Parts: sequence; structure tokens; C-alpha cells
Amino acid sequence: MKLAIDETRCKGCNLCTKVCPYKIFKEGKKANRRGIIIPELDRPERCTNCRLMHLYGRTLCGVCQLTCPDQAIHWVEEQPYEPHKVAIEY
Amino acid sequence: MSFEDWYRQDRLPHIFCAGCGNGTIINCTLAAIEQMAWKKEETVFVSGIGCSSRAPGYIAADSLHTTHGRAIAFATGVKLANPELNVVVFTGDGDLAAIGGNHFIHGCRRNIDITVICMNNQIYGMTGGQGSPTTPLGCFSSTTPFGCAEAPFDLCELAIAAGANYVSRWTSYHVKELEKAVYAGLQTPGFSFIEALVQCPTAFGRRNKFKQVGDQVDYLRTHSMLKAKHDRLLEQGEHIPPDMFVVGELVRRNRPVPGVKI
Repeated sequence: MKLAIDETRCKGCNLCTKVCPYKIFKEGKKANRRGIIIPELDRPERCTNCRLMHLYGRTLCGVCQLTCPDQAIHWVEEQPYEPHKVAIEY
Repeated sequence: MSFEDWYRQDRLPHIFCAGCGNGTIINCTLAAIEQMAWKKEETVFVSGIGCSSRAPGYIAADSLHTTHGRAIAFATGVKLANPELNVVVFTGDGDLAAIGGNHFIHGCRRNIDITVICMNNQIYGMTGGQGSPTTPLGCFSSTTPFGCAEAPFDLCELAIAAGANYVSRWTSYHVKELEKAVYAGLQTPGFSFIEALVQCPTAFGRRNKFKQVGDQVDYLRTHSMLKAKHDRLLEQGEHIPPDMFVVGELVRRNRPVPGVKI
């Protein structure tokens, strides 16, 4: 699974940058075609839910998805054989 | 299946302003309903008039968008006509406390088996930021340009005094706790009232020194006090700052419910 922001729904309120315990969401810099500054993802492979959702069979954290007032944050299935980046934090 | 499936995908994105907390409360409610494993055909959402009352329009279940303040009266009718239905009422503070105040206290008194979720943004957001019965003392709005001089309603205390079976208060910052509170409210037979304080950056925050969306969420986070801590401070006789509000499960009891066997 991987984290994704739906650009057609996001209104750029930046509430997700406040609630993520890993600070994955960062305030964006460039406005998109509709003039909305959409948050950027900072190393989204750190998200617990992406890795362990299938293993546990339930949503583990999901605070960003619950908090997002515009229902813009969701998890999508990865393509088969998509290259992975592994982040190890000490 | 997640709570996303309860939305009418063709109606999204909704018309709430950027940073409005109503969407968060709808998310939490739908997540709790998802946990209850209710079917869409057996669930009815009722609402009145206001920003928050647009919520049922985005949910793929039967919904009633009724006259101003009469959401609880219509929900009583729905429950009377078919007691098998699960009825959830979305309402705002202007809807519930101002024009529908009488329906609210009599709904609590009758203890009908419905769940009421009040999105309290402390102002009339849709009509241009007029002061509502829950605007805190000293706050600015378009009808109180020198600061609100009237004491606000405490909706939870009102519901407890009128006899609701389950009352709790959370904010739009405490999403997981709110989800659990709504789940407990849905399970409780009888009138369940959940007050959710939400931010309103357009009408309330703009006039009250919360320029950014995050500022008011920070205010809600820092000025909420858990009920256990509030009770402990009262017991020890220590000072409680006047701008703090109590969050948590305020009451849960078993008053007799018409039409439900206990």
C-alpha cells in the first residue's frame, strides 16, 4: 500500500501536517492548476499503515485519513514490482 | 470496507470551506457506523439547516434535509414510523441550541432512541458569521462587534439536565476519541448526544485571532481538559482556568427508553 493525496479534493488546509506522528506531510510550495497549494509527502514509506495494513487486516493509525476534512487522503495498492525505498530510522 | 464507501463519491468534493472541521466529524461518525456494521438501507440521516446540516447530502444512505431546527422532531417521526431504522441526526449549534432548543430538550426528556451529533462551531457560519447561543464571552462576530456580552449555552449540561442517556463532548482534534464516543453513543439505547467542537476558519477564526486553520485547532487542543482531571481539580479545590472546557464522556445512564426493551 502507499499513501496518496487526491489532488481533485484537497483544499490545502494543511491539517494533515499537524496530526501525522511521523510528520510525513509537509507544507507544499507550488500552487497547482486550481491555485491550491497541496502538501508534499516527505518519505511516505515511513507510514506504518502502508506496511502493516494487510498484515493486521485493519487500519492501524489512520489519523490523517480521519482528520482530512476533504476526504483527500487514502491508501492505494502498489503496482506489481514497483521499486521500494527502505527508510531505517535510529 | 472502510468508511469511504459511505460517501456519495459523485458529490465530492463538498462545499465546506478549506479547513472546516465538519468533514472530520463526518469521517469519525461514518467510521463509528462502519464499526456498528449497519446496512445502508437501515440507516437514516436527518439534519436541519446550516453548514453542518449539509452532511447527509454527501452520505450514500437515506437522508432527510429538513426545516431549520426541526431535525430532532423529524427524527422522532422517522423512529416512530419504523422503529427498526437506525436514526442519526447531524446538527449545528445554531440549529440545535437557538431555533431547535425546545425540540432538543424534549427529545432528551422523551429519551427517544436516536443519536444526535452536534457540530458546534460557536457561530452561524453559513449566513455570514452572526453570534450564536454558544458564542463564548468576549468573542467577536458580525452581530457582536464589541465582543459577545451574553453567557453561552453549555449544550452538554443542558442535555444532562434534560435527561439524555449518553452525553459526551470532544473536539475535531481528538478524532479517535470522538470515533469511540460516537460508537458508544450508537450502542447506547436512548437519546445519545455527542457535542463536537469544530474550527470555523472563515467566519469565527477570521474575527478571533485565528488567522490560520491550525491556530484554532491548537486552541481546541490546548484548552480542552479531560473530565477526570477536571473532577480531580475540583476535589482538591484548585483553580480551573475559566477558558477551559471539559471533554470526555460526561454521563451514561439507563433511563427507560420508549420502544426499547432493556
